[in-house]
Formats: sequence, structure tokens, C-alpha cells
Amino acid sequence: MLQAIADGLLNGSIIALGAIGLTLTMGILRFANFAHAELITWGAYVALAVVAVLPPLVGAIAPFSFGLPLLIGIVVAMAASSALALAADAAVFRPLRARRSESMTLVFASFGVALLVRMAVLLIFGGSAQYYSNELTFAVEVLPGLMLLPDQVFTFGLTAALWLALHLFLQRTTLGLSMRALAENPDLTRVNGVDVARVTRWTWIIGGSMAAIAGVLYGLSVQLRPEIGFHLILPLFTAAILGGLGNVTGALMGGMIVGLAESLSVLIIPPEYKPAVPFLILLAVLFIRPGGLFGALGVAR
Amino acid sequence: MIRQRLLACLAAATAIAAAQSAAAQDCTINIGAVLSITGPNAAIGSAIGDAGRLAVDHFNEAGGAAGCKLNFVLRDDQGQPNVGVDAAKTLVSIDRSPVILGAIASGVSLPILTSVSVPSKVTQISCCSSAPTFTELAEEGGTQGYFFRTLPTDRPQAVVMAKIAKEKGYGSVAIIYVNSDYGNAMAKNFTAAAEAQGIEVTDVVGYNQEQASYRAEVSAALKGKPDALFLVAFPADGATITREWLAFGGSKQLLLSNAMRAREYVEAVGAQHLTEAVGIDNAQTEGPSVEAFNAAWTAEKGSPPEGPGLHTMYDATAVALLALEKAGAPDGTAIRDAVREVTGGQGTTIYPGPEGFAKAKELIAAGEPITYEGATGPIKFDENGDVTGPYLIWGVADGELTTLDQWDMARVDAALAEVSGQ
Amino acid sequence: MTGLAIYLVFFLTVASIYAIVVLGLNLQWGYTGLFNAGIVGFYAVGAYGTAILAGPDRAALIGGFGLPFPLALFGGMVLSGIAALIVGLATLRLRGEYLAITTFGIAISIQLVALNFESLTGGANGLVGLPRPFADRFDDPDLYGLVFLAAMLATVGIIYLALEAVVRSPWGRLLNALREDEVAARALGKNIAAIRLQAFVLGCMLTGLAGGLYVGFIGFVSPLDFLPILTFQIWAMLIVGGSGNNAGALVGAVTVWGLWTMSGLLISRLVPVGFHAQAGAIQTMLIGLVIVSTLLFRPQGMIGERAGGARFGRSNAPPVAKDRNWSTGGGGQQP
Repeated sequence: MLQAIADGLLNGSIIALGAIGLTLTMGILRFANFAHAELITWGAYVALAVVAVLPPLVGAIAPFSFGLPLLIGIVVAMAASSALALAADAAVFRPLRARRSESMTLVFASFGVALLVRMAVLLIFGGSAQYYSNELTFAVEVLPGLMLLPDQVFTFGLTAALWLALHLFLQRTTLGLSMRALAENPDLTRVNGVDVARVTRWTWIIGGSMAAIAGVLYGLSVQLRPEIGFHLILPLFTAAILGGLGNVTGALMGGMIVGLAESLSVLIIPPEYKPAVPFLILLAVLFIRPGGLFGALGVAR
Repeated sequence: MIRQRLLACLAAATAIAAAQSAAAQDCTINIGAVLSITGPNAAIGSAIGDAGRLAVDHFNEAGGAAGCKLNFVLRDDQGQPNVGVDAAKTLVSIDRSPVILGAIASGVSLPILTSVSVPSKVTQISCCSSAPTFTELAEEGGTQGYFFRTLPTDRPQAVVMAKIAKEKGYGSVAIIYVNSDYGNAMAKNFTAAAEAQGIEVTDVVGYNQEQASYRAEVSAALKGKPDALFLVAFPADGATITREWLAFGGSKQLLLSNAMRAREYVEAVGAQHLTEAVGIDNAQTEGPSVEAFNAAWTAEKGSPPEGPGLHTMYDATAVALLALEKAGAPDGTAIRDAVREVTGGQGTTIYPGPEGFAKAKELIAAGEPITYEGATGPIKFDENGDVTGPYLIWGVADGELTTLDQWDMARVDAALAEVSGQ
Repeated sequence: MTGLAIYLVFFLTVASIYAIVVLGLNLQWGYTGLFNAGIVGFYAVGAYGTAILAGPDRAALIGGFGLPFPLALFGGMVLSGIAALIVGLATLRLRGEYLAITTFGIAISIQLVALNFESLTGGANGLVGLPRPFADRFDDPDLYGLVFLAAMLATVGIIYLALEAVVRSPWGRLLNALREDEVAARALGKNIAAIRLQAFVLGCMLTGLAGGLYVGFIGFVSPLDFLPILTFQIWAMLIVGGSGNNAGALVGAVTVWGLWTMSGLLISRLVPVGFHAQAGAIQTMLIGLVIVSTLLFRPQGMIGERAGGARFGRSNAPPVAKDRNWSTGGGGQQP
């Protein structure tokens, strides 16, 4: 039970990081971006390429399984995922927005972009499972019945730090305030002279960076495959909707809830059905409280 | 743009038709194979295709079959049944292949069988599909005898593994299995055999393929603190599961299914963690027929044949071609009827390789009986087109896959009798 | 018949099965603007429904009712409709993308049930020995193939004509009006959610019908038949053909499936085996490219919409109305 909660929170951290970016694009750019999950895959693989290219400068930093190359890899991956997000926006989404296409057209285009990115990853990196490090680290029994890997503590800590940073950014900076304003009332914001293009750009950069980190953490705790993003689409959307669109803290909580529910569900249903758990949560939320548990739009109203 | 594309398609179709008529003049028989070159089984598919091609090459060196040269046509099913069925249909109707070799996944082989091979009266021989449903379908008469497979059925394998668990003195075993026809059957048969011998099976946990994390499954299997883990998986998933299993304090005493006998698996987990692991695989490790194949493969590829499906694919192809020679014409039904005449143990023994096939051709021409002894050893199809075969037990030592033990057919039969008798 | 002709019969049969799915999708997306991201799920429900109702009785299975094929086919359609109803009721009063996400989710969940609910679906083994309708009355497999194709073409023809009649009916014109200007339609006092729900369920029932016909044609069903890639393939068919146009849907089905199989054939002949893995990935990328570049460069598709303006190009409603529409729905809730 304790183990299941810990596993759930760790998985939830990764879902939460992905969902933060998704909730921002859904709140600010106003379309459900199916390609968002592929930014996770892309980031994870870019970090893998960095780790493969760099010499292991100082070896693994005890007690973790990774060293400096992976930390550099995270930074490069953040840049790469942001770049991919911006490129997709410039090539596909912006022209469609400029034409005032319906939002469903954008959703649909994102469906196509997702397929393209996934296949590109498959083409470049191959389809078999890969790891950042082939060294196995062993879990430590923290409490009776609770085993944790050092890497998992890192994952949890990093997620908490990123959430705090993002929260402060949205509360304290002009850019952050513009983003919130745009999420809450686009017409008014446009009239009041907010630079919409700039806000859009930063929405992609923040979303892409968070996704890249999520991807690296995923690869660290599990493995890399071209399908990791695809399998995360449903948990990500569920977390974002559960938290309320545009709500960063909500997405974080939503991610944790989805992660916990997946992990705890194994205690009552066969694990084979676990991937359906986010769908059941989603259905329940849409029937009962479609605005999400934590209120839609705006970070803290 | 679209019109150009349509024209391009038309041009391609014409080219194919032209190739066909050209082929008829030279008297070439296309031998069609449907395998996964892309998709979930891509890691093993292309090497399996090479094994089939090698058998066809050997036959061509021996002078072809049924008076014609042979042309190996490999089609990709992408791991998708609809693509596989379409590929098989083109092989049968456009390429006029009298046999279909493949597919790998049972979920692709079966629709090919029911919608292409049986209606078109073409013999299908699979290297790799292990589902019990083929046997079921054959018993109902649904295959009309057109289906054979050179991969032994799973039940003996699970029984042998349960016997090994007993010999090693494991009191309790957990099972993690891939939720597919293959994994399901293995888990069920192992559980029955283990319990029959007084081994406690603590948890039986299925997992869905190609997930990123198997932590929940591993946690569930760890619950009962078993002495050992029986893992039925494919190399990539299996490595992830093994890593998580070991990292969270699982026993190093691992029992591994046949598909895990791959270098990829050992490297991903780390050989030093697998010293207490034992696995099983189909194949006879010794004997002149096996060495003939191993030597031919090594000469061609530069490395010994390791990995699932290579030996069985070579045999599937060789049996098909010997039957074609025996039948004397590229006719699916005649080939079907000839399959049992070139296998089964009656007549002069034929080994893999060009010399063996040349000898077979002479004997067939003379009307003498032959029996093929292949890369997996002697082959005998039962009335459902299934084979039972010998097994080898493998382990990991000094970072390499090594063979620890062998189970010949007599020993397997004894184990089967013992378990079902109890 | 020559080999090529035999293959063409086979190819057209499969293409007409997909054409039915595309027609159903066209009703949802082309005429009503509903984004179904889980086509493969409804296709699977129809297929399994038909297989379970028509299949032979087996001890290990719950199903196997041995019903006559047409009856089983109808049952599969109804089951698909019920699945659509569940999803539709949850989402169709909300912003459009909720339907997309939920349909995506139900497809994954249906796949899981197919794989794991062994006593109903046969699990990973699938269901074998399913009857191919009237196959026992034909000795010649090629003749049977031809008759099956004729039946399929007739089915497609009937559905096509029925849909053409539907979209010209008052109900169909309402769909169009709703898609173009929801606010105006609402002002006329129309129950928008109910109308959308009807279109969505009807489209999914057609998808289910196609799934059942696929089972009849192949005689076997397993979870492998319902990979997510199929959803993309169907979408590519609609997009290439041009959504909002039933004839376009038919052309798209034949063209895209033709390109897909033909490129596989060419790869097997022209590309060295070592590069097949890459070639396969590129083949799938082409679908993504087709989707994206059609949206960008030729929103009306190959054939284009017959009436009422381009589907993708722009919304005909004034921008302000559209945005208002958005902000009211922005929180996921519509008043």
C-alpha cells in the first residue's frame, strides 16, 4: 500500500510535468494539442543523444544512476523540445490560426503532427527500448514496505522545484501575468495591448521545456521507447482537465491524482486494465464536474 | 498531384505484370514470406527473413525445385493483420506463390490462414506463431490441413520449466507473463505443472506489451516474496521488467522463457545480474543437421545464429521446398500432401545445405523416400500440423549466453507424462 | 481470372469496408464537425459484437450464440451505437475537443477489454472459426470473392444514397447550419447537443457495421486487428477525399488504401531488406504529412465540398461570434 502510494506519486510527478505544458496550451492557445505528448518523447531522446555523445565526464553522481552528461542532456532537451514546439507552431498551427480556422481543425492538425514526430523519432533512434545508463541501481528500503530508488527522490524533488518556480513566474512577472490574462479573457487582453505573439511563444517554450524534463525523468525511471508519449496522451489530458484548463497547480494535482489512481487501482483490478483508469476518471469528471476539480482558467483566481 | 500518383500506381502495376510474364519464361517459382520487418516484432523479423532466404539460396544452389528456379519474396506485415493479409493475397494471386511462410505474430498468421491460405488452397508454414488456437482450429477442420508450424507448441516448454524449478528446489514462484496468446498459454501451463509438483505459485501477473513502466506489475509479483520469478516476455519488455524486479529486491533466481534468449536482453539487464538465471529455448544444440545449419549461417553472416525464429524459419522454408520438389508442381494442395512424405522419420535422412538438398532431389527423382532432419533436429508433424521438439536450457556466464543442459524428446515426453500423471 | 484481377477483387473488398467507415466519419466530421479520435474503438466493438453473436458456441467462452450473420451484424452495429452514446452523453454538451479526447480514451479502453476479457473476446488469441457468410455455397474461392465484393459494393451504394438523402433532409441541413453558426442555430431554439448526439451515434453505427463486415470477410478477429494506426489511416482517407462530401469519402478510401498497399509492395521489391524498418516508418509519416499538408494547402481535399464552403479553410461565422463562443466554453462548460 505504502509502496503503491509512493510509486503513484512518482509516476504522477511525470504526468504532472507533462500536463502543465498541456494545460497552458489548452488554456492560452485554446486547442487540445495531441502532439504535446510527443514533445515528451522528443525531449527524452534528445537527452539520450547527448548522453551518448558526451564522455562520462565525472561518472555517475552517487547515489544516482546518472552523471553530469544527463544534466546537460536535460538542458539540451528542454531547448530541443521548445524548438520543436515553436517549429510546429510556425509551420502548422500559426498559419491555421491566422486563417481563423476552427479550433477542431487545429486539434486535428495536432493529431497529424503527433504522428509525424513519433515516426521521426522511430526513424532516427530506432524502435527498441533504450536506457540512459545500463548500470542497475538498487532500491533502498526507506520505511518497512517502502522501497525507493535515489533517482525517484530526484524526480520528486525536481517536480516540486519546477512547480514552485512556475507558480512564482505566473504570479510575479509581467509575462506570467499576461499569460494568465490571456487565458482568462483573450479579447480584453488583446485590446489592452498585451503582445499576444510573445505570450504564445513563451507558452510553447514553457510547455516544451516541462515536457522535455518529463521525458527525461520518464526515461530515467523506466526506459525510452518511441511510444512513451503516445501512451501518456490519455493520462496527460485527464490530468489537465481534472485540474481545470489553464490552471498550473490544478494540472500538478491532477497529475498526482491520475498517478495515484493508476497505481492504487492495481490493488482492486487486474493490472492489465490499468491503462483504462485515466479514461474512467476522465469520464467521471466530464459527467460530474467538467470544469475540473480546481476551477478552470487562471492559476489562482 | 493526385493524378500523377495514380499514374505511378498504374505504372507499378504494369511493371509487376511485366515482371510476371518475364518470370514465366525463365520458369521461376516465387516463394512468398510474410514477416514483421517493421512493427513490434521488427527486432527479430529481418533476421528471420534472412534465414528463409538462406534456405531458398541453398535450394537454388542445388538446382531449384520442381524444375524451376526459386525466388524468395519477403513482404512486411508491419505487425498489422490487415497489411499482412493484403501482402499474403498479393503473394498468392499476383506472385503465384504456392506457399506462404509466416507470419510471426499469431494474430497475423491466423487471419492470413482463414482468409487467404485456406480459401486459395495454399500451404502455410509458420516459423513463429505459437498460439494454441491453431491446434483448436485444426481439430475443428478449419485449416483443412493447410497449416503447419515448425515451432514446437508451448505446453512442453512450460512443463520442462516447472520441472527445472522443482530440481532447483524453489518452493514458491511468481509469474509475470506477456498478455498475448504465447504468454497466456505459458503461464497457465506452468502454473498447472508447478502446482502438480507441489510448488506454490504466489502471483500470476499479466502485462501489456510496449508499456514504458511495469512497476505496478513487478510490485504485484513481489507481494508474495517468491523464491523465484518465471518471466514470459520478449527481450525489450523482459529487460525492463527484470531491471525493475531486481532493483526492487526481487530474487535473482529467474526462470526465463524462450523468446528471451537474445544478446539484447542480457546486455540491457547486465550479465552480472543474470548469473542465477536459467532459460529455455527450442532447438537441438548438437547433431550433424543442426551443425550443418549453424555452419552455413555463420559462413553467410559472420556470426553464429542466435535469436528466436532463425532455426524454425529455415526449417519451415526447407520443408516447404522439399514438399514442392516432391509434389513436382507449384500446387498448394499437392505441397500440403507432400509435407508429411518428406518428414516424419521414414527414408533417407536429409540435412540442411545445398548438398543435402541436391541429394534429396536425386532421391525424390528416383522415387526413394526421404526424411528431413533440420536446423531444429528431426521434424514430425502431427495431424494438426504441430511439432514437438527438443529443448535446450541456457544460462549466462562471463557475459555470454551459454547452454547448460539439453532435453531430448524422450526426456520431454517423460516429464509430460509425469506431470499429467500426478 | 488472372492473378491481378483476383487481387483487385480482394483489394476493392477491403477498400469498400473502409469506405463505410469513412462515410460514417464524414457524417460526424464533414457534416457535423465532430472529431472522432477513436474510430478504431467503435470498429472493434462492431467486429467483436458480430463475432460473439455469430460465432460457434465454445465451452471456454461466454459468447458464441451462432446467430445468422445479418442478425449478428445488426447486433454489432447496435453495440457500437451504445458505446457512442456513452461517450456522446458525457461530452457533446462541452467544447468540441472533449469529444476528441474521450473518443481517444474509449478506443484504448476497448482495446484493453478485447485483450484481457478472455472469456468474452478470446483475449489475445482472438476468436477463431467464425463463419464467413455463405462461403459453403461456393466451391470456387475466386467466385466467392467476386460475390462478396458485389455484396459489399451494393452495401456501400445503399449507404451512400441513404446518406445523400439524409444530408439533404431538414435534419441534414440543420447539421450544416449548426456547424457553420452554432449561435444562430441555438437562437432558433434547436437542441444542439441532441442533434450532435444523433449524428455521432449514427456515424459510429456505420463504423460498427464495417467492423462486422470485416469479421465476415476475414473469419477471424483479434486485438491486433484494431491498432491505433487504423484511426489515422481512416482519417487520411477522409482528408484526402475531402470531408463534407460523400463521393470524396469513397474516392479517399480507395486512394489511400491503394497507396498504402502499393507502397508496401514497392518497398518489398525496391528497397533492400536492411532498410525496410526505415521505409515502414516513412510510410506512416506520409499519413501524417497528408493530414497536415491537406489542412494547410488544400483544405477542401481531392474532391472538395459540394456546398457550404470549405470545411477547414475558415469558419463562416463572424470572428467575434466565434470568439464569444470560445470564451463561454473556455472553462469546459457551456451555459
